[in-house]
Amino acid sequence: MNITADHLEFNKSYEISALKENDLTQKLAEMGCVPGTEIMKLYTAPGGDPIAFRIDSYILGLRKSEAENIFVIPTVVEN
Amino acid sequence: MKKIALIGNPNCGKSTLFNRLTGLSQKTSNLPGTTVETTSGIVKLKTSDLELIDLPGIYSLFAQAEDERLVVSTLIGIDSEKPDAIVYILDGSNLRRNLLLVSQVAELGIPASCILTMADTAKRRHIEINVDALQTELGIPVTVVNPRSDTNIQNAFESLQNHKVGNTISLNDQFETRLKRFYLGNKERGLSEETLKRYRDIEQVVKKVIVNSDGKKRNNTINIDKYVTHPILGILIFFFVMMALFQGVFYLADAPMGWIENGFAWFKTMLDETLPSGMWSDFVKDGIFSGIEGVIVFVPQIFILFFLIGLLEDSGYMVRASFITDRIMRKIGLNGRSIIPLVGGFACAIPSIMATRSIKNKRERLITMLVVPLMSCSARLPVYVLLISLAVPVSRFWGPFHAQSFVMTSAYFAGIVVALIFAVLFNFFNKTKEKSEFVLELPTYQSPRIQTVISQAWIKCRSFLTEAGKVIIIISMVLWGLSNFGPKTAMDKARSEAKIVAALGSPDSSQIEQSLKLEASYAGHIGKFIEPAITPLGYDWKTGIALITSFVAREVFVGTMSTLFQTPDNDKNVIGIRKKMQAEINPTNGKPLYGIPYAISLIFFYAFALQCVSTMAVMKKETGSWYWPVMLFFIYGGIAYLSAFAAYNIFNLYF
Repeated sequence: MNITADHLEFNKSYEISALKENDLTQKLAEMGCVPGTEIMKLYTAPGGDPIAFRIDSYILGLRKSEAENIFVIPTVVEN
Repeated sequence: MKKIALIGNPNCGKSTLFNRLTGLSQKTSNLPGTTVETTSGIVKLKTSDLELIDLPGIYSLFAQAEDERLVVSTLIGIDSEKPDAIVYILDGSNLRRNLLLVSQVAELGIPASCILTMADTAKRRHIEINVDALQTELGIPVTVVNPRSDTNIQNAFESLQNHKVGNTISLNDQFETRLKRFYLGNKERGLSEETLKRYRDIEQVVKKVIVNSDGKKRNNTINIDKYVTHPILGILIFFFVMMALFQGVFYLADAPMGWIENGFAWFKTMLDETLPSGMWSDFVKDGIFSGIEGVIVFVPQIFILFFLIGLLEDSGYMVRASFITDRIMRKIGLNGRSIIPLVGGFACAIPSIMATRSIKNKRERLITMLVVPLMSCSARLPVYVLLISLAVPVSRFWGPFHAQSFVMTSAYFAGIVVALIFAVLFNFFNKTKEKSEFVLELPTYQSPRIQTVISQAWIKCRSFLTEAGKVIIIISMVLWGLSNFGPKTAMDKARSEAKIVAALGSPDSSQIEQSLKLEASYAGHIGKFIEPAITPLGYDWKTGIALITSFVAREVFVGTMSTLFQTPDNDKNVIGIRKKMQAEINPTNGKPLYGIPYAISLIFFYAFALQCVSTMAVMKKETGSWYWPVMLFFIYGGIAYLSAFAAYNIFNLYF
């Protein structure tokens, strides 16, 4: 399943599965957007762009076009 | 003296700690060959003193923004010697991302120690860190310090003295060589793979170090952000905060500015009494001290505005302002990050142009820098105040608007609107292709740390004092010369005319003499010379002189006008000059010479023209050439001229 981070539901936990390979990859990786990390869409700026995500334990603002580079999978809920 | 560098992510508490450790000994210095400033301070210890360097917060050594590159150049010793040791400041609530930087820096083999901050925040989020395990994994001493409380600041002092070459968390091939190549501008392949590998290795460390990490991750920050970033409320809050900012500045700066003015007035009276009367005493009094006063009187406004912006930055709000404005800023070729230098531009363009260094994209940085001077800085305010009080009666209302405040607000808005238009134009003509990037951490809200904010605001004031101060004082002395000397025949004629006036027994003969002499001086000649060019804007030769002297710094306009209208020293304020100016009649149309059309026209001129030599000098430093300062001088000068011309003629129809 190929969901990118700009299409997440609010306040739902996902896991980063991969990054699109381009000029931004390095920056996103540095900021902790690496496969296996938990990601959650928190809120957006007026107009829906940029978007604030929780990455691991901090909040990161990304433009929609930047969030498109992050592939995610829904987190498996363990009961 | 041993040199120790503080390194850490942005928002990790580094600057607070630096302030606590160095106290008042801080100084900024330029790295040789660059314009980037580092802040350093002396730490006094029992045995010896240390030099502590505060480097900008970074996430990774592969950094591109001007201020981030400084960290790399310091660590690999490009412009100066490598530091003797490093102290990492790690935010315990954000360990993974913080360890990335440690894993890179560790490969440089510099002895290090580590200070763990925000352990309390981490605990609140139910993250518990095993400090001993972290110490073993990193191979360096780790101490826990809360930079905001006094209890364990002593640990930090110990951490400065006790360092070791640590373990490398993740070893990568020829790291230092590659880092150097990257710094010099070569593209390096495989960086993102390297970063991913580092994170995998960091995960192994984190597994041993973080004892317990579940629990609720919700916190107040997200709740506050719901309002701050709300589509309607968020924008209202933004405008409210900006309004409060400016109202706060006017309100708070009023008293200290009065003290400074009174202080100088007292000082000048004292000089009058003690110095022998004569040319050199006049030079000291009117040439040198007026210049110094012209600089100092702005310090309260600039300091208070940067202090308030500092509070907003430190609390975490300014980042949200960047977040909510990014969409609009992007459309006009700027970046959400541009909002901080732009707001700072209302205080003083000089430190604000320097603040653009944190914008990574070169084109966005340049455009931000180019439009900052259009924000009405604090030096324009006294000009606006004089002109508005001159032409617009206090009691006047235009429709529902109080006329005076309406004109003042319009002047500020005119600057903003023209800045936006020029951003679009510069963006259109700049064909550099470089991908725009936002990627901005939204830090947890915290109550601002007053001491840190004060010292940051003071550093900005200092850059105004040093950059603008010298220029203003030198030109003030030159101007004194120009207005006190003139072609011999003209000056002689003025003197003999003055004698006749004196012989007639006119009560203000000495003032008339001054006025005649000024008209005969070089400054008077220059004013007359440019008069034909400015008559279409509604200005006379006196305004011409003031326009020229304003190129030192805009507020000099007020001082020049007061000299030209010979306001007696004890009445040398806006009211005094105003009374004299209001009495003048335009010989061509019989209307008041300095009426509404004149004032509005001149306000437009001042709002747009790049009349600040110091701003041009700083822009030259930051862009590396005179191209942009000179271009802007003519472009903004042209806009200023045209809009002043239009304003004068339109308003002349109605007033």
